[in-house]
Amino acid sequence: MLEVNDLTVAYGPVVALHGVSLTVADGSMTAVLGANGAGKTTLVRTISGLTRPRGGSVRLDGRDITRLAPDEIARLGVAHVPQGQGVLAELTVDENLRLGGLWRRDPKGQRSALAEAYDLFPPLANRRHVAAFSLSGGERQMLSVGRALVARARVLLLDEPSLGLARLVLVQIMARIRALVTERGLTVLLIEQNAKSALSVADEGIVLHLGKVVARGRAQHLLSEERLRHAYLGF
Amino acid sequence: MSRFFVLTLSGLTQGAIYAAMALALVMIWRATKVINFAQGAMAMFTTYLALFAIDHGAPYWVAFAVAITSGLLLGAIIERVLVRPVESAPPLNVVILTLGLLLFLEALAPMAFGGQIRSFPPAFSIVGLHLGNSQVAFSPFDAFTLGAVLAVMVLLMLLFQKTNLGLRMRASAFNPEVSGLLGIRVGRMLTLGWALASLVGALAGVLIAPSLLLYPTFMDDVLVFGFTGAVIGGLDSAVGAVVGGLLMGFALSYVGGYFGSDLETVGALVILIAVLMVRPRGLFSLQRLRQV
Repeated sequence: MLEVNDLTVAYGPVVALHGVSLTVADGSMTAVLGANGAGKTTLVRTISGLTRPRGGSVRLDGRDITRLAPDEIARLGVAHVPQGQGVLAELTVDENLRLGGLWRRDPKGQRSALAEAYDLFPPLANRRHVAAFSLSGGERQMLSVGRALVARARVLLLDEPSLGLARLVLVQIMARIRALVTERGLTVLLIEQNAKSALSVADEGIVLHLGKVVARGRAQHLLSEERLRHAYLGF
Repeated sequence: MSRFFVLTLSGLTQGAIYAAMALALVMIWRATKVINFAQGAMAMFTTYLALFAIDHGAPYWVAFAVAITSGLLLGAIIERVLVRPVESAPPLNVVILTLGLLLFLEALAPMAFGGQIRSFPPAFSIVGLHLGNSQVAFSPFDAFTLGAVLAVMVLLMLLFQKTNLGLRMRASAFNPEVSGLLGIRVGRMLTLGWALASLVGALAGVLIAPSLLLYPTFMDDVLVFGFTGAVIGGLDSAVGAVVGGLLMGFALSYVGGYFGSDLETVGALVILIAVLMVRPRGLFSLQRLRQV
C-alpha cells in the first residue's frame, strides 16, 4: 500500500504541492488528474525520491520511504516511468529492458519478463539491438513502460504514458497494466492530463489544482460529476 | 632496415601508451563529464609508489602490482572525497579541482620521494629483437607494453559490453537520474569508473617510465598527447580514444624522426587543429548520431 501524507513540496519560494494526501491500496489503480502545473509530476518525483519534500511523508506498506534515495526506493519495488525522456538513449532496446530487472538478481525471472515485454510490444522486438535514440516517440514510451514491467515492480508510477503514443497502443498498454493490477495485485499511480481515458481504467481518481487536492473519489463517480469535469478536467 | 619501419614500430609502442592515457581520460569524461587534468600526475604518483616498493627490495612484478592497485584506490578515493562534493557545482569548479590536484601531486611527489630524476626498471629487456641477422627496433619490453595495454583494453571492453556490471556503469554514465530510478547505485558505479580509469593511467605510467625516466612532471607530455588523442577520437568514444592515441604515437614518431624531436609538440598541435577543422566533433563522436 502506498500512502502519501500531507506532502508539501516547494521549489524555492514556489510551492508545488500543498499538503497532498492520498492512499493507493494494493491491487488498485489511482489516477491523478489536473492541468499543466497542477503538481502531478512533482508528486511522483517526490514519491520516487527524486525531489525532496519540505514536509509530510511517503509510506510503502507502512515503512517511511520519504528520505530514501531513488535507487533505494526502486529496489523496494517502486518503478517510476518518467514523462517523455525515460529511456537511456545511448543504450540498445535490449539493454534498456534488461536494466529494468537487474536489481532483482533473478536471471531466470528476468528472461521470462523480457520475453513478456517483447510479446507485449512487437515493435520493440524487431528493434532489439538498435540504440534507443533512433526509436520514435511512441516506441520510446513503449520501452519505458516495458522496462517497468520487466522490473516486476509492486508499485508503478506512470507519468503521462499517453504522451506521444498512438491511441491504439495506449489502449493496449493500459489493458495490460489493468490486467496486472487485477491478477498480480500491482499498485498503480497513473498521472494523466487526459482525464477521460485515465478514469476509464482507474479505480480511484484525484484531481490536483495548483498543488492542492480539489476532488477525490471513485473513478466512475468523478466521470459523472458534471461540475467537476467542467471546472478542472476539460471535457 | 628502412627508417620508416623503425619509426612506425616506435610509434606503435608510444601510441599504445597514449591510447591508454586517452582511454583513461575518456572513461572519466563519460562517467562524470570531467576532464581529469590530474590523470598524468596520478599516474606519476603511482609509478613513484612502485619505485618505492622496488627501493625497498620488492621484485618488479610486486612493484607493478603496487602501481596498478594504488591506481585503482587513488581513483576511487579522489572521486569519493574530492569530486563527489563538487559534482553538482558548475563544471568549471571540477576543472579547477583537477588542476589543483595536478599541482598538489606534483608538489607532493618531490617531498615524499625526492626531486631527483630516477631510472625505472623495465619488465623485460629493452634491447631490440634479432630477426635473422638484423636487429629491429622492437624490444621484448615493447612487446610487453603493447600486450599489456591490449589486454587491459580487451578486458575493459568485455566488462562494459558483456557484463551486467558494465551495463550498470554505462547507464550511470549516460543518465544518472534514470539509472537511479532503475535501482542502480549510481554513486558506486561512478567511483568504480574513476578507479578503473585511474588503473589504466597507472598502467601507462609504469610502462612509459623506463623510457622517459621518473621525475615529478614526467607524465605531463603523456597527458597532453593522450588528451589530444582523446579529442581526436571524439572524447566520448573508447574506440576513438584508442585510435586517436595510436595516431598520435605514429604521427609524433614520424615528426620526431623526420623533422627533429623539438617539433613533436608542435606536430601534436598541428594534427589536433587539422582533425578538428575537418571533423569538429572528432573522428568517433556519438554526438552527431544523438542529435537525430
